[in-house]
Amino acid sequence: MATDDRNLSAATGWAEQDDVPEMPSELLEINMGPQHPATHGVLRLLIETDGEIVAKVTPHIGYLHRCAEKIAEGLNYKQWVVYTDRFDYLAPMCCNHAYVTAVERLLGVEMPDRVEYLRVIAAELSRIASHLIAIATFGLDMGAWTPLLYCFREREEILNLLERLSGGRMLYNYMIPGGVRFDVPEDGWCEDTRTFIDMLENKKIGDYNTLLSYNKIFIERTADIGVISREDAFAYGCTGPVLRGSGVQFDCRKDDPYSVYDQFEFEIPYGTGEQGTVGDCWDRYMVRVREVIQSCRIVRQALEKLPPGPIMSDQVKKVMRVGPGAAYTRVESAKGEMGHYLIADGGQKPFRNKVRSPSFCNLQILEKIGPGMMVSDLVATVGSLDIVLGEIDR
Amino acid sequence: MEFAAICTLLSTKLGDGVLELHEEGVEPWVDMKPDQIAAAAHLLRELPELDFNQLMCLSGIDWDGLDEKGKGKSVAILGYSADGKPETSDRVGEGDLGVAYHLYSHQHGHKFTLRVRVPRGAATLPSVAEIWPTGAWHEREAWDLVGIRFTGHPDLRRILLDDSWVGHPLRKDYQMPGRWDLAPLEGKPYSVNPHQKPMEPPPAGDADGSGGEG
Amino acid sequence: MELFANLLGKIEALSSQNVLILSSLIMALIMALVMAACAIVFTWMERKVAAFLQSRYGPMRVGHWHGVAQPVADMLKILQKEDIIPAEADRTLFTLAPVVIFIGSLLAWAAIPFAPGFIASDLDLGLLYIFAVSSLAVIGILMAGWASNNKWSLYGAARGAAQMVSYEIPLALSTVPVVLYTASLNMNDIVIAQQGGVANWFLFRDPFLFVAFVVYFICSIAEVNRGPFDMPETESELVAGYHTEYTGMRWAFFFLSEYANLFLVSCIATAVFLGGWWAPIPGLPLAPALNFIVKSVLLVFLHMWVRWTLPRLRVDQLMYLCWKVMIPIALICVIGSGIWLMVSGQAS
Repeated sequence: MATDDRNLSAATGWAEQDDVPEMPSELLEINMGPQHPATHGVLRLLIETDGEIVAKVTPHIGYLHRCAEKIAEGLNYKQWVVYTDRFDYLAPMCCNHAYVTAVERLLGVEMPDRVEYLRVIAAELSRIASHLIAIATFGLDMGAWTPLLYCFREREEILNLLERLSGGRMLYNYMIPGGVRFDVPEDGWCEDTRTFIDMLENKKIGDYNTLLSYNKIFIERTADIGVISREDAFAYGCTGPVLRGSGVQFDCRKDDPYSVYDQFEFEIPYGTGEQGTVGDCWDRYMVRVREVIQSCRIVRQALEKLPPGPIMSDQVKKVMRVGPGAAYTRVESAKGEMGHYLIADGGQKPFRNKVRSPSFCNLQILEKIGPGMMVSDLVATVGSLDIVLGEIDR
Repeated sequence: MEFAAICTLLSTKLGDGVLELHEEGVEPWVDMKPDQIAAAAHLLRELPELDFNQLMCLSGIDWDGLDEKGKGKSVAILGYSADGKPETSDRVGEGDLGVAYHLYSHQHGHKFTLRVRVPRGAATLPSVAEIWPTGAWHEREAWDLVGIRFTGHPDLRRILLDDSWVGHPLRKDYQMPGRWDLAPLEGKPYSVNPHQKPMEPPPAGDADGSGGEG
Repeated sequence: MELFANLLGKIEALSSQNVLILSSLIMALIMALVMAACAIVFTWMERKVAAFLQSRYGPMRVGHWHGVAQPVADMLKILQKEDIIPAEADRTLFTLAPVVIFIGSLLAWAAIPFAPGFIASDLDLGLLYIFAVSSLAVIGILMAGWASNNKWSLYGAARGAAQMVSYEIPLALSTVPVVLYTASLNMNDIVIAQQGGVANWFLFRDPFLFVAFVVYFICSIAEVNRGPFDMPETESELVAGYHTEYTGMRWAFFFLSEYANLFLVSCIATAVFLGGWWAPIPGLPLAPALNFIVKSVLLVFLHMWVRWTLPRLRVDQLMYLCWKVMIPIALICVIGSGIWLMVSGQAS
């Protein structure tokens, strides 16, 4: 524990630079969280510091644990949708999408085109909302207050749109195995969405870049900080913007296509080390900014092509029996690869449903890259990983 | 590489009869004996033709009470009855525990699913955290919720539940504690702080479940 | 303000011993009131400016017009708050720290010339005195951080002490070129030397002085611990820095002195660089005190604008900026201004 004398130069590598005589000293042990403004929820980081330098980081999670996987075993397949909303509560549509994709894959049914298009539109809007929050809170971690308010203003528009679509503002419960609950409202929803998307893509993103992304102080704070190498990203199971920030052009929507994503044109932004090293905080941040633009493109194409048809598949019965069978199905959620390992026994309830949440894996790398950085950089790195405790703790 | 080709390659390296192929259903998988898993994991990671550099998912599973015929007659959820008392599981805890590994290769773009079963009494598996560091937390979760031990794991502690929790909730025979019952904590504090004085144990007369929340 | 100035001018003219003491007391009272007014006006202003920059409204309810009574409501709320001293805290230091910080900022007001004759203490070493007493705040911050017995507070205190001690050097150095021109540290003399229009303000006397003003402005942000240099607080890293454990009125004292200091550094900048109480165009019928205050408030607005626009620096970058950028530039300004003074023949 903290009272042990340690060879600090070995721990941090900083003392080697100077001719400092060996002195007995000890590391300061601090709890960052669970109540801390920069931990994005009830995350507790037990950090040992040598002055401003972090020597060791140990994440402690579980403060939001609900044992959702146990609850899954007691609910039928449609009831369980409600709980998937609560994993990544900043992008619940993506979580819905992951789950219904998994169930329908086990059922072996194809959805009508309109269903898939509506799902893609909803999931991409949700992804934009989530990335806006990621941009906002990352800026806030850097001490920039104003981008937070701007991003929340835009997110509010998305929430309004999704409210008109699904009736909910935060937890939508919109997609169910077999279809979606509501069709597009006939009050000009599509036009409003298109207007908003155009506004976001053409104007607002440029504003954020001017205000935050290319701000000199912001670059100083984020470039070359918290570098995750390509190999580390693979080894630690990083996915989503964290993996792409490390220069890997991988996206489940393209590389492991599901739904109707193969019918849209979009690019996969990835980190190029534009301001520093490949895989630094700035790269991860910028991947999210650029993904917002790509999501806007997808939504626009989906709105254009939106086919007519039913919003529920007639192949899925009211009382749904799934399986028997087991499959791991993954989709690209806002935070990364969201997977459901679903074991069905032919009944109305899942036998086992393991949820592989992206933040759970992304957070893990903190133990590896944390030591040696400054406390401020640790805050930056946690912010750039963009974790949501709801899906880490499940 | 296709599933069959991967299996053939693995069989030539590991020896015949090690893999038990299941090619039916949505997702083909391979069953394996626990003592072979370490060797297989090394091969899967290191063979350049396979190069599974990402462990997508590692799931701990309790197979107790699975309806093998696929009629959906598996064990029911344990919950709370109307008066808030926990229902007791009718499961006595038989059947195996298991782990499923889902692998993906970014180099080759292929997937592979590996399953392993361990007897309930000796639920111990070699850890793959050395091969895929992401396995460390997944294995901690499997230990925490299903109760499978991983030998050679760098830091096998509970991850989601408190260190003082008793039992593994995702086991089918897990008995739900009372709602505000301190029993699972055995009178120990929720978290252990070496600098803190030990907490007073809860008063003896407070065992009816109406005691304060931790 | 003018009324007070006339009154005080008359009182001081009597120059009797008793009256001097009386006038000092009145002046001290006025300065304390100015400080309280600062906090009240500037909390409202900060909220409105932040809201304006962030495309929202800010307080709109209390006091009918744009929430003008919001600070009063805040003060009433803070008064009612429970006063908590952590069990393991060093009680003496803990209770003393807000007072020390408050006194530090109160003392400095003594040498600010708001209008001709309206100065609490016309010190010959006015400028030096201001910089000297304003460093008391460092001690207060260290006391608060140490006494709280909270690791985050300690971090904030250590950062704050390092930052404020460092930034005092370029802050003081950037005013030295002006002193070269006036050959006096007396604040009244400095302002009087800028008599006339904008062209006579030290800001525009020579290019080095302009750079010195920029240096002064940047360092003053650091000196009052506001964003992007709010290292002692850094709410996203250190929770609330050195005042994490403070509540109620004690916390309000920190708050009060933050805004008082904000106005103070702006007042110094006005007096030293922006012509003090002189109107921008000579002969404009504007009250001298009004000139002074408008200029200072504009500077305060600039402070707020910067705070709500820029991200925060990291603590080592902050130190780098101070020792390797600001101090050399300030030194160059001193030398350059001196040479300019000699060449242009303005030397007095």
